[in-house]
Amino acid sequence: MWFILPIIGLILGIYLGSNITFQLPAIYIKYMSIAVLASLDSVFGGIKAVLKNNFDGTILLSGFFTNALLAALLAYLGDRLGVDLYYAAIFAFGVRIFQNLATIRHHVITNLRQRKALARGEKNE
Amino acid sequence: MSKIRWPIPITIVLLCLGIMLSLQFQAQTRIASDLTLQRTETLIAMVRGLSEKRQKLALEIIDLGAQLRSQVESNRDEETLLESIDLEMKKLQIVNGTTPVKGPGLTITIEEYMPIIYTDLLNIVNELWNAGAEAISINEHRITGYSTISVAEDIFSEANYSIFMTVNHEKLEYPIVIKTIGNANNLEKGLTLPGGIMDNLALFNAYPKIEKVEELEIPAIQKPVTYYFMNEYKPPEGTIAEEKKDEAANPLTKPLRNILP
Repeated sequence: MWFILPIIGLILGIYLGSNITFQLPAIYIKYMSIAVLASLDSVFGGIKAVLKNNFDGTILLSGFFTNALLAALLAYLGDRLGVDLYYAAIFAFGVRIFQNLATIRHHVITNLRQRKALARGEKNE
Repeated sequence: MSKIRWPIPITIVLLCLGIMLSLQFQAQTRIASDLTLQRTETLIAMVRGLSEKRQKLALEIIDLGAQLRSQVESNRDEETLLESIDLEMKKLQIVNGTTPVKGPGLTITIEEYMPIIYTDLLNIVNELWNAGAEAISINEHRITGYSTISVAEDIFSEANYSIFMTVNHEKLEYPIVIKTIGNANNLEKGLTLPGGIMDNLALFNAYPKIEKVEELEIPAIQKPVTYYFMNEYKPPEGTIAEEKKDEAANPLTKPLRNILP
């Protein structure tokens, strides 16, 4: 039942964000989107780690914030230099998100199958 | 690596993610409606559409303004028409005797001992009309084009047989007071000119009393005339086109019963 807490956290976050009076300046929206993408990647990575039983809170928190910041900074730097690092970041994080999702799906499905098999075995005995 | 410890960092992370997501969502929706970040083509299209709309609306304003002006004008026309009709109606009422009138004029008083018969009354009234009287009443009976002045006998009571004068089919009681509105001097001259009605009456020793009055009131007729059969005469079609047109423009040429009460 521990997965309810993170969901409550997400809903609370969305609620807080929509009630905040602070408005993001239009110039930073591009970087913010990259940061959001990096954060999503970190979150899925964390979920994958939980499922794989090698979760580490420190790594997740540090990865979340540094990834977001670095992604935004890189995009900004790319804009300054005239290189579209923005697209590179989108590509990299996009690929990783899909990989993480795929791994999560694999784990969930195998877990479910194992449980079913276990239950059936117990019944048969 | 305890199982209890993983939800707390994930919750923190998801909280931050939620805040970022909704912020980004808001910003993105703001951008979608922000003109400075629109593409030039869409901006051009928008400007074109809006200016077309504006033109259409300006035309509509002109159209509606013209409509309003014409409405106001027709309203004013109607008002003046109504006013003139009202005025005309008042005039007609005065002329036909359906309203009480007042003004300067004469009173002629005839006492019972004066030997006067109804033709003398008729003569006096006719003389007054001739002298420019505008309204006449005899003992509060208004004299109009429909009035009668006549004589009647009391044939039902033989004991005190009597003969009396009537005005508008009503018995006249003495003293008979004839009121008339008009130029008092002219009226008096008309009655008293040499060889006139007063000289005539003097032959019979009748001297009606003539008084000039600054202001006297003459009542309305008691029984207004109702017209059932009388209608305006209209010339046959096509004979006098011009006159017909004038009549059509003048709302007063309706059957009289529509105007008179």
